[in-house]
Amino acid sequence: MNNAIIKRSLASIISAAILIISLPACAAPSSGGSFIEGDVSGGEAETLNWILAADASSFAYAGYTLESLANYDNQFNIVLRCLAKDIEVSPDGLVYTLTIRDDLKWSDGSPVTAEDYVHTLKNLMFSDWLNYNYKDDWQEDTGGKKVFVTPAVVDGTTFTITRQTVQPEFIYTLYNLIPYPKYIAVKYEGDVDAFTRAKEFNDLSYTGNLGPYKFKQWLKNDKYVLSRNPQYFLGQDNGAPFFDEYIVKMFGTSAVMQAALEAGDITYCGIEPQNVAKFKKMPDINVYTVPTRGYNIIAYNQRANGWEGLRKKDVRQALSMAIDKETIAKKISLGFAEPAYSFIPSSSPWYSDNTVMKLGVAPLNDKQQAMQLLKAAGYEYTRSDGRDILLGEDGKPVKLLMVTTPGSDVVESMSLLIKQELAGIGIDVEVKWVQWPTLLRQYMMNREPGTDQEPRYNNGPRAVSDEAWDMTLMAHNTDPLAPSGSRVFFASDGGLNSFGFFNDLVDQLFQEIRSEKGMNKDDRSLMYGELARVISEEQPVDFITYTRANRGFQSNVKGIEPGINMGYNYYLWRFE
Amino acid sequence: MRSYIIKRLIYSVIIAWGIMTVTFVLLRLGPTSPVDRYILNIAARGQDVESVRQAIEARYGLDKPVIEQYFTYMGNLLQGNWGWSFSTSQTVVDLIASHWIYSFQLILLATIFAIVLGVGLGMLAAVKQNTKIDYAASIFSFIGISIPGFWLGLMLIMVFAVYLGWFKTYYDTSYPIWSLENIKQLLLPVLALGIGELAGYLRYTRSAMLDNLRKDFVTTARAKGLPEKTVIGKHVLRNAVLPLVTIIMFDLGSVVFGGAYLTEIVFGIPGLGQVSFNAIFANDYAVVVAVTLIGTFLVLFINLATDLIYTYLDPRIRYD
Repeated sequence: MNNAIIKRSLASIISAAILIISLPACAAPSSGGSFIEGDVSGGEAETLNWILAADASSFAYAGYTLESLANYDNQFNIVLRCLAKDIEVSPDGLVYTLTIRDDLKWSDGSPVTAEDYVHTLKNLMFSDWLNYNYKDDWQEDTGGKKVFVTPAVVDGTTFTITRQTVQPEFIYTLYNLIPYPKYIAVKYEGDVDAFTRAKEFNDLSYTGNLGPYKFKQWLKNDKYVLSRNPQYFLGQDNGAPFFDEYIVKMFGTSAVMQAALEAGDITYCGIEPQNVAKFKKMPDINVYTVPTRGYNIIAYNQRANGWEGLRKKDVRQALSMAIDKETIAKKISLGFAEPAYSFIPSSSPWYSDNTVMKLGVAPLNDKQQAMQLLKAAGYEYTRSDGRDILLGEDGKPVKLLMVTTPGSDVVESMSLLIKQELAGIGIDVEVKWVQWPTLLRQYMMNREPGTDQEPRYNNGPRAVSDEAWDMTLMAHNTDPLAPSGSRVFFASDGGLNSFGFFNDLVDQLFQEIRSEKGMNKDDRSLMYGELARVISEEQPVDFITYTRANRGFQSNVKGIEPGINMGYNYYLWRFE
Repeated sequence: MRSYIIKRLIYSVIIAWGIMTVTFVLLRLGPTSPVDRYILNIAARGQDVESVRQAIEARYGLDKPVIEQYFTYMGNLLQGNWGWSFSTSQTVVDLIASHWIYSFQLILLATIFAIVLGVGLGMLAAVKQNTKIDYAASIFSFIGISIPGFWLGLMLIMVFAVYLGWFKTYYDTSYPIWSLENIKQLLLPVLALGIGELAGYLRYTRSAMLDNLRKDFVTTARAKGLPEKTVIGKHVLRNAVLPLVTIIMFDLGSVVFGGAYLTEIVFGIPGLGQVSFNAIFANDYAVVVAVTLIGTFLVLFINLATDLIYTYLDPRIRYD
């Protein structure tokens, strides 16, 4: 009897122990801890009242507490957020129907409705009093006149946006849409000062269950603190997010930020190329190398105050052919870059490897061939001190001025390498480092001589900058999903076409991509391929390299999916 | 004396107004725009830079004539409204109110550290001239003066925070200002900021003390049988300290204006140095003018305080 009781008791204890041991494995991943992201102070957001923001960080900061309609994974697949289903586009490409989830709530418990989205568009973004920075996204050109698209409420969760012209890439703008609560916004309407200072908008106290985190504290130049939002609409089934706090900590220098990662004081930060090897050896750190949207270019000044040779396609090709992109990628970027041939990165779904002209990479990295191109373009060489010297049309040695900004080791090394490479084809390059505002005003902005034009970055083909220049070395960004945004650089009326590149075919292709002809994705892909081909052949700029970023995490962070959009699922990250 | 102080205060206000006006006008007429820093972001979004520039300038009234902006600013200032910081989205008063304490505590502690140890070691070195103590103090002061503060800061972080793990790698604002944790985490920044000043004060004190030690009144004091402590502390130090006050006050002005900035950057202390630096790069005019104004008043106040301290230290000095 006693033995039976003891056996049953033992069995019960063992069963209970097994149950207890097995419980954590069955439950959702445990939440807890503070995730601390390091950033350098130049990258701090300016406002949480995101509709007033012009900088990318402000949208990112607000984004921790407010989900957009959708975002993308690392393969650029759409991941729905506030949308209940993907956006429906009418067959004529003019009407977009958007249906949001019915479980989205503001902080006062009221539902987020289609009316909130439409009100945000009509009364805030399209208003005259607020001066929304990115209103161009929502305007279309109809007969030479810019008009806003037309939003309309269908029912509580559905609204439509109607265009008068087809723009297939407009859908990407829609996915990023975030609403303001109408019940608060109406209090400040018409008064930009009051709207700017509105407490609710500056402390994000209205965000309800719209984001994985809720605003807690923001001490400028120091840290932005968010606390876990247990009501987060995407966390109802899985318990996400899993950190108690998400903190963005600002550092004055990247050296100290990386020291903080090494010491375990922060959870995550970017790592500079020269430190990657050191961090990879650390058992407590995982380093992920991922593609970015950034690329480096040399812009050739084709305006009247640049060397006349730069207005010839063959000459631009020759210069680009002489500059070895592989060396730049391997030696200067330490392998954390890849040669670039187009404004469309290889990570983009629109990239076409077989149409672009791969200048600067073998076999099109050849100084002899470059010199032949220059000779064929009508230029002669002379020899002096055993070196070939390229002569300009005036018979004098060609000397080019390359302007760039100081402060980056990579840019400085790249400048010197470019100088050395072009010396190899007989061109003397003077490198001039100027501060960013000076570069913009003295070299990039231009106006027609003899007129009282307001200086702009592209005042037409006859405009020139105050200071003469031949090349600039700069960093650009692109949108891999909608690269046609780069028309600002390469279209004749592009607002940042400061280097004076005017090409009718390029203009036409940009226009077609953003028209009815681009509605079919296969056709659009062909058009992008053709556009990339033309631009790579025309070489208005030498696309140097696409940069890769290195992200260092404490090794106990799980759930990370490395890639170009590696933060897309950050609400699922957790500590082991 | 009172009329002298009142006169100096009136001068200070006039000087500060002049500096503020010049700063305001130069900032507005300068070749930079708040939009400059966004250009690449605007371009990445395929936007027209001009339309974004116009939107931003219209929203913050920067599209109005400079003279109109100036009178609006002055009118607001007289009502205690220092303006809106568009790069941090808060009033300038709130911005300064939430950050000044971090600079103040750092500068205060570093200055106390430098004065106490610098003057103390300087006195010791002078009294023990040509001994091992004097040589050690000299070597220490040369090293202290030669090492740049920001480099020292980085080294302190690497050794004491990364390798030894005794401190955090950065200043943590979670700790209350009046807490032991806060004092502890200020040790490294105070060392980084204070060592250079300490070394300077050590040299100046030693030199001034040696000058005075050779004077007749010291011999007389000793001949009168005064204890050595009284001779050094009351007679020699009091005479030596006058030029030191000028140097210390001058240093304080420099630290307030820029010296602490690098230390703040290295240790991630969100003080006014960082605020003003970021505001300059963001072309956040309201903050730049406000910080300039505060800096101006501080320097004017320090100058006035120096003059007043002179009268206490040297009864022969009178401003009446």
